[in-house]
Amino acid sequence: MSSRVLLQASARLIIRTARPARGWLRIALPFALPAALLAWELTVRILRVPVYLVPPPSRIFAVLWSERALYLQAATVTLGEAIAGLALGMGIALGLAVAATFYPPLERAVMPLVLLLKAIPLVAIAPILTLWFGFGLIPKVLMTALLTFYPALVSWMTGLQAVDPAALELMRAWNASDWEILRHLRWPSARPYTFTALKTAIPLAFIGAVVAEWTGASGGLGRAMWLAQTNLDMPRLFAAAFLLAAMSLTGYGLAAWGERRVAWWRL
Amino acid sequence: MLEIRILHVDQTFSTPQGRWVVFEDLNLEIPPGSFSVIVGPSGCGKSTLLRIVAGLLRPTAGQVRLGAFSPEEARAARWIGWMGQGPALLPWRTVEGNIRLALEVNRRSLRPTLSIGELIELTGLSGFERAYPHMLSGGMQQRVALARTLAPGPRVWLMDEPFAALDALTREQLLEEVERLWQRFRATVLWVTHDLHEAARLADEVIVLAGRPARIRARFSIPDPRPRQDERRIGEWAQRIRQALAGGAG
Repeated sequence: MSSRVLLQASARLIIRTARPARGWLRIALPFALPAALLAWELTVRILRVPVYLVPPPSRIFAVLWSERALYLQAATVTLGEAIAGLALGMGIALGLAVAATFYPPLERAVMPLVLLLKAIPLVAIAPILTLWFGFGLIPKVLMTALLTFYPALVSWMTGLQAVDPAALELMRAWNASDWEILRHLRWPSARPYTFTALKTAIPLAFIGAVVAEWTGASGGLGRAMWLAQTNLDMPRLFAAAFLLAAMSLTGYGLAAWGERRVAWWRL
Repeated sequence: MLEIRILHVDQTFSTPQGRWVVFEDLNLEIPPGSFSVIVGPSGCGKSTLLRIVAGLLRPTAGQVRLGAFSPEEARAARWIGWMGQGPALLPWRTVEGNIRLALEVNRRSLRPTLSIGELIELTGLSGFERAYPHMLSGGMQQRVALARTLAPGPRVWLMDEPFAALDALTREQLLEEVERLWQRFRATVLWVTHDLHEAARLADEVIVLAGRPARIRARFSIPDPRPRQDERRIGEWAQRIRQALAGGAG
């Protein structure tokens, strides 16, 4: 029996078990969103709901299309803020999580502070940050960082600790340094947790950026939403919200895809 | 080759139920290059003893010497080969990558005697170099763990029931190969098992550990030539060890 045949057989088995969703569900899933939009459109038209309360999706898409340059620019601004804040928040979280594996008492020292920070309501922090740092990029990035930092920290702390105890013992028997254990064992074990963190943090990043823009900004989707809301211009408000949701979903999808790629051995 | 000396070792653990004395003034000498097997009822402290020898656990009192060195020094010099009950392979590394890991860590004092290619051949892993652990059977995974244990060229092998989880046939096959590898490298082996036939098959000397705190209840030198295939003879030795475990004289 050749080993190559065995390998191919086991690989095939793995691919088969990795396949998600059942047949009918896989066919039905792509139609769920269009169906919901269609139901919305029909309900609004049949019940003659005024546009300033709930606009029909067709109207929202029409606005998005006719003002696409404007929305594209606003989305770019918000996306930039979200990415910068996400990078900052996750960077700090990774630094802290790694430091806590080298020096475990740090976790007990830092966690109360982190929880305190998380307990302060978002709407209370946003105006303060704007007051301190003005209408520019900084308060948005800080806001986003504040929001994304916590899920990333928790995920990585869990991931860096969740190593096979037998493998850890083996590394110790080799007299591996803490750094070598981090590099060869802890970090690869924690890698899938990065994407778990991203799946939570990406939607939060957009919320952070938008809330910060809402309290004062010269651009971005949050600003567009605020303007539309003060004018009771529902189609424009919903258009920005749609765009935001689309970006959030795309980001989530990318993270989920990355998770599957990085943690393939778990499938 | 290093001899292992366990000198006046005490080991106690504090538990919520009070102090638990595992060893009290335990003394044991393992001659260099010998294959010694420790047997005893589960929970008697066999694995604890192995951890103390490896320097993974510092005894409450007393000391362990490996030749002229402390376990910590021996570990730093990469003289200790450690193999636990599970294979503890890294799922994101291939067979070859898992074996190579032993050579990527703490490299300064590394003087491997064999190339990875040779090791793969010796442990019967040829053709599986690029396979990932989840594609392998339990027996093959333990082969990888064995190759990884031997990769740095350790002078002491500390083996904690390495094949306990395998089926009888695979275990038999692997025991044969371990014996062959040991005869080639002549390391000092301290092997923990609860399988008395395994002990009778492999050991130059069987050390029976029992009681609370654990004491050495009996020692058997088995002079039979290797490889030992006389099932009747192995059975006789196993019977004698069993009697010693049950409380009779050695």
